[in-house]
Amino acid sequence: MPLRYQLMLLFLLFAIVPSVGLGLLVNWTVERVVERQVEGHTMQLIGKVNEALNSKMENLQNMTYLIAFDPDIDAFMNDKMPQNDDAGIEPMNMDTNAETEQNRLYGIKQTLQGFTTLYPEIAGIVLVNANGDYISNEMYPRAEQSLIQENWYQKASANPGIFMVLGQPKERNLTTHVRYKDDEIVSVARSITDEASGRVRGVIMIDLKLRSVSQAARNVTLGKSGYVMVTDEEGQSVYKPEHPLIEHIPTDWFPSGESGTFTADTEGGRLLFMYQSSTFTGWRTVGVFPTRDSISEVRQIQFYVVSFVFVVCLFGLSASLWFSRSIAQPIFRLMSYMRRAETGNLRPGRWSNRADEIGMLGNSYNRMLAQIRQLISLNELRERQKRDAEMRSLQEHIKPHFLYNTLDTIHWMARKEGAEDVSGMVGALSRLFRIGLSKGQDYIPLHSEIEHMTSYMQIQQTRYRDRLQYTLNIPEELRDLFVLKLLLQPLIENAIYHGIKGRRGPGHIRVEARLEHNRLLLTVQDNGAGMSNERLAEMQQLLEAPLASLEASSPGMTGKSYGMLNVQARLRLSFGDEYGIVLESQEGEGTSVTIIHPLMREVPPTKQINNEERQESEWENS
Amino acid sequence: MKKMLLVYILLISAFALYVLRFEYTSQVNSSWEDRGLRGDIGETYIMITFQSGLEYWKSPLKGFEDAADALGVTVEYRGATRYDAKEQTMVIEQAIARKPAGIAISAIDPQSLVPAINKAIDADIPVVLFDADAPDSQAYSFLGTDNYKSGVMAADKMAELLGREGEVAVLNLPGQQNHEERTKGFRDTIKERYPSMQIVEVADGHGDAMVSRDETQRMMKEHPELAGIFVTEATGGAGAGEAVQTAGDRHPLQIISFDTNKATLDMIKNGTISATIAQGTWNMGYWSLQYLFHLHHQLTVPAPSSSGENAPLPVMVDTGISVVTRSDVDDYYAK
Repeated sequence: MPLRYQLMLLFLLFAIVPSVGLGLLVNWTVERVVERQVEGHTMQLIGKVNEALNSKMENLQNMTYLIAFDPDIDAFMNDKMPQNDDAGIEPMNMDTNAETEQNRLYGIKQTLQGFTTLYPEIAGIVLVNANGDYISNEMYPRAEQSLIQENWYQKASANPGIFMVLGQPKERNLTTHVRYKDDEIVSVARSITDEASGRVRGVIMIDLKLRSVSQAARNVTLGKSGYVMVTDEEGQSVYKPEHPLIEHIPTDWFPSGESGTFTADTEGGRLLFMYQSSTFTGWRTVGVFPTRDSISEVRQIQFYVVSFVFVVCLFGLSASLWFSRSIAQPIFRLMSYMRRAETGNLRPGRWSNRADEIGMLGNSYNRMLAQIRQLISLNELRERQKRDAEMRSLQEHIKPHFLYNTLDTIHWMARKEGAEDVSGMVGALSRLFRIGLSKGQDYIPLHSEIEHMTSYMQIQQTRYRDRLQYTLNIPEELRDLFVLKLLLQPLIENAIYHGIKGRRGPGHIRVEARLEHNRLLLTVQDNGAGMSNERLAEMQQLLEAPLASLEASSPGMTGKSYGMLNVQARLRLSFGDEYGIVLESQEGEGTSVTIIHPLMREVPPTKQINNEERQESEWENS
Repeated sequence: MKKMLLVYILLISAFALYVLRFEYTSQVNSSWEDRGLRGDIGETYIMITFQSGLEYWKSPLKGFEDAADALGVTVEYRGATRYDAKEQTMVIEQAIARKPAGIAISAIDPQSLVPAINKAIDADIPVVLFDADAPDSQAYSFLGTDNYKSGVMAADKMAELLGREGEVAVLNLPGQQNHEERTKGFRDTIKERYPSMQIVEVADGHGDAMVSRDETQRMMKEHPELAGIFVTEATGGAGAGEAVQTAGDRHPLQIISFDTNKATLDMIKNGTISATIAQGTWNMGYWSLQYLFHLHHQLTVPAPSSSGENAPLPVMVDTGISVVTRSDVDDYYAK
């Protein structure tokens, strides 16, 4: 896989995987915690509804007692009222106590009206005594049939004195004037008994408006998208919303116990039921919720988490794209530049001005290319010079033997003839050649170099006689050091031809060797004509780039400085830029040329040009 | 680069889809029982009457409750337990303090409740009046019987029963505007259309059966020629009926009563009361709540009304009347 995609993948992995993981964790935790809280809360609410219903029913129970306490009603229950089918308003009787009866009935009705005045949720109250007589402000029978036969009366009298929640009336022979339908009311009843005999004297029935029940249940807003319904003992719903999720909850679904939670599969899907039942009313308050629906708060949190993950994904993607590009692109470019370099094109690459490692890499690469280019050109020059030298030495190989033999012969002949000076000169010439060739070796001991130089000097002295004098100041301990060969002779030659020759009277050349800072300094100093400042500057400039100067050197100037440039070039090539020639001159005073040469106690393993650095370190160590 | 663009588009569209789905499902969730014109269970509308135990109010209250069921709101019933303007004012003040979504009031008299009603309006609580008006208040609407017209109708029926001649009396509840108007309608019609008839007395029945019985008996003694009596409210009608029953054949009297409670209907059935004026009481309650609901939810567009102001609702709604006689009394019993 390309580096870019690897980086991208890495970034994405580190940006998205943790955020997705975090999201999942948060979601899971929140769902669990909130679910548990909401369920607890919902259970409490259901309990509150249950309590409210209980207290409503207790209120009604108290009301039946209050009604029964009324002495007039007590009398009615004791059957002391005139029997009449139509108790709505008593027709006038001619009995003596008719007036009081009338007033008593009026009083009872006022009492009952008092209850409905204070409790508007009561739809109606009916009192029935054992004879089937009844008193009510609101209700009257539909048909001429004794109310004692009614189901609710039987039920109430079967449980003497006990408050009964009858639930919604069904097909009873009673109607309210205000036309409350059967499914709009819930009725409760209590029978009144005789303390002594326990005989049922009558029944008080109260109709409660169902809306007061439903209001309590509907008022509950649950965390989940469910609702509260109320069922009676048989599982028939007392109250349910308009569009229930389930019409009827079978009683055997409910586990035993006053309250609890269970789930069941129904037509409307899997439902969660939470219920509390009341022993007083026998009713169950049931919360019904679809299980698949999560709580809206949880959904909200989920939404935020997903949004967060999405934003992180988007940012992560963009960031990883950007990062991977900013890293991979320069590497890719470096790669293509390297390919180009492999094909031999060493042009430096274009890099942006970045200050980081990547920018440094690019700069280093460019520098490296430059260096390689320089080394290559250096190498070429060396090879060429080497070839030239080899060619020259091949050409000259034949000559030396011939020349030696000839010179030897001349030497001996001159001695035989007694021409001592000729013999000495020829001997010097012969030494000069021998050392100059020195079997093709580049490095020779300093004493050989000195010998070479003195041979040359001897020849020149023969020529110039007294005009040329020289002094050698070579400490004995330095004589065994190795130096690059043929360093001094060209400088001496320069000193003679450009210094001494241009001077009037005898000239003097000093050759010195000394150690300084672990380097060998060889100085050739003359007291000749010296150089003008322009000439000195020009020479110094040429010496700065000896190779280029040699290449470009015109035939005209060869005579003047070829020797020095040659020495300089060889020093530089062999030892690097820190070595070479230091030129000092004063017009009319003389010239001093100092060779700065590394300290070498033995012949270095030459041949390889690239080994410069190793050599350098070795020389420094020594 | 195109690949990345594709990934971006894919990511964004997936997120957009998720957002849409979230919006959609949350809408479905929130509206599981909120389809159509439905209010909030937390909205409470209060009906306030005087003499709150009166059976008469049960029918408007039923209408009020039925409308509450239809709209899914909560209603409460409050009232002065007695015939007492101060008590009703206090009940209204209490209701205002609870900041209900609307109040329907039956005014005990035209004047006493005006400050309380205006206070409610100032508190941004919509108020409508039903059954008994307080015309000087700022209440948005009045829903009730055109009482003057019901008096006219009663007079026509009385003239028909008595053959357009004879002495008649009125038993009413002085001070209460609807009763006054009924009396006025009755009186004007007798005076203008039936010159051979005359109103001999207008008595105060106190809205009580016993008082009305006694008053009727007194009038029967004082005006031996009294042939008919118009009672402007139901309880008094029953009282008058009792008086006639007591008198028996000695003094036959045509009674025209008001409203259709059980006692009145029974008396029509056995012939004690000749006729009664039935009011659209259920309508009063039902439409009061509808009006309040519309006001609370600002569903109406104010339009110029007869009073010259921009009214969001019909200022006056006649809930209708009908005459009940023995021939159609069975239709008025509860089934």
